[in-house]
Amino acid sequence: MEFRDYYKVLGVERSATAEQIKSAWRRLARKYHPDVSKEKDAEARFKEMQEAYEVLRDPEKRAAYDQLGSQWKSGEQFRPPPDWGSGFEFRGGRGGPEARGARRAGEAADGGFEEGGFSDFFASLFGGGSPFAARGARGGRDHHARIDISLEAAFHGTTTLLELKSPELKADGTLELRTHTVRVTIPAGVTEGQLIRLAGQGEAAPEGGSAGDLYLETHILPDPRYQLDGRDVTTTLPVAPWEAALGTSVTVPTLGGPVEMRIAPGAQSGSMLRLRGRGLPGQPPGDQYVQLKVVLPPASTPEARALYEQMRSTLDFDPRAERKGNRT
Amino acid sequence: MSRTPPLLTAEVLTESHWIAATELCRLCRLDLAAVAELAELGVLSPREARAAEWQFPVTVLPRLRIVSRLMRDLGVNVSGAALALELLELQRALERRLRALERLLADEG
Repeated sequence: MEFRDYYKVLGVERSATAEQIKSAWRRLARKYHPDVSKEKDAEARFKEMQEAYEVLRDPEKRAAYDQLGSQWKSGEQFRPPPDWGSGFEFRGGRGGPEARGARRAGEAADGGFEEGGFSDFFASLFGGGSPFAARGARGGRDHHARIDISLEAAFHGTTTLLELKSPELKADGTLELRTHTVRVTIPAGVTEGQLIRLAGQGEAAPEGGSAGDLYLETHILPDPRYQLDGRDVTTTLPVAPWEAALGTSVTVPTLGGPVEMRIAPGAQSGSMLRLRGRGLPGQPPGDQYVQLKVVLPPASTPEARALYEQMRSTLDFDPRAERKGNRT
Repeated sequence: MSRTPPLLTAEVLTESHWIAATELCRLCRLDLAAVAELAELGVLSPREARAAEWQFPVTVLPRLRIVSRLMRDLGVNVSGAALALELLELQRALERRLRALERLLADEG
């Protein structure tokens, strides 16, 4: 596994005081907190910082970590020395804030930032004090993760593979992450931020208790054609000026397949038309909004130029008539 | 030999799933006092008048977990976290509108 330089992660000297470490952590936490941050790699950075802070804030863990020496560089191949940890007693309990064992993989990106726990490097050093060590008294804890779903899949429903990682404490006190894959059928009509519960798929129970549940929060991936708002979707439909002016019937893509839509005469660019019930399914189902965008044909041929010139001379039309104050 | 992974049933939780305040506290790692304060601030609307019997739609969970993380990770108090939550939600809504408008402009350009 790779060595992690916790001091470098928090941007402090090895000689930093507890106060300096706390202050560095607070500054970085504010910047990279995944709920707030707009930084691209906020989630990964935040996890890394949590892990570093977890070690450096605890005098015992920090002292043990310091014993490894300062010759190690981040990313170097690392194996704990044979006498590692002697003389220290890592009292776990707190664990990483919210760090848990469940993580999803499969067709989409990794799940929520609360999941995934700390690195193998951390687990190899502080296994017993890891984020996974603290268990509830009655049963396994619930796990929380995020699941990314395409808009198409949200509309039609989908069966997706979830990779669940569960930590297991080995006899020597270190942790091993066991991975098992399950298939989950997501029904049609889930929308952004919806909660899905998988009973019994959280943390395994200590003897006699019941396993925790796994809660998935859905995230609908951006779609190039549709914007989602609740269960409603909006799409943009290009139309020719005469289609908007004279009215027409056009084929419009919807999540459920193309439909014919009538455009009444006199439509403008930006006009919103509604296709009732064509959004995400549900009770009630969402609607699809179609925003018209009038696209002008280029005046690139003599015929096209002639038509534009004819409009100019024939139509009494001033597009800026409403802005009287601006006229010269 | 790879075996087909077991198929699980996903239970989609909607507004009609209500949970007790104590269960909510457990799931989002907040104490009852914090939940009561969030209700007072209008972030939550409990069913039942007496705090001990409060019930909440389970759909508040993602929002409360954000509040809980902000409090724990950034050291803000309940009202600070509630304010941050509402501003974050406003920011997201505005970003959605901005993207929609940008798309329309880009298409027109």
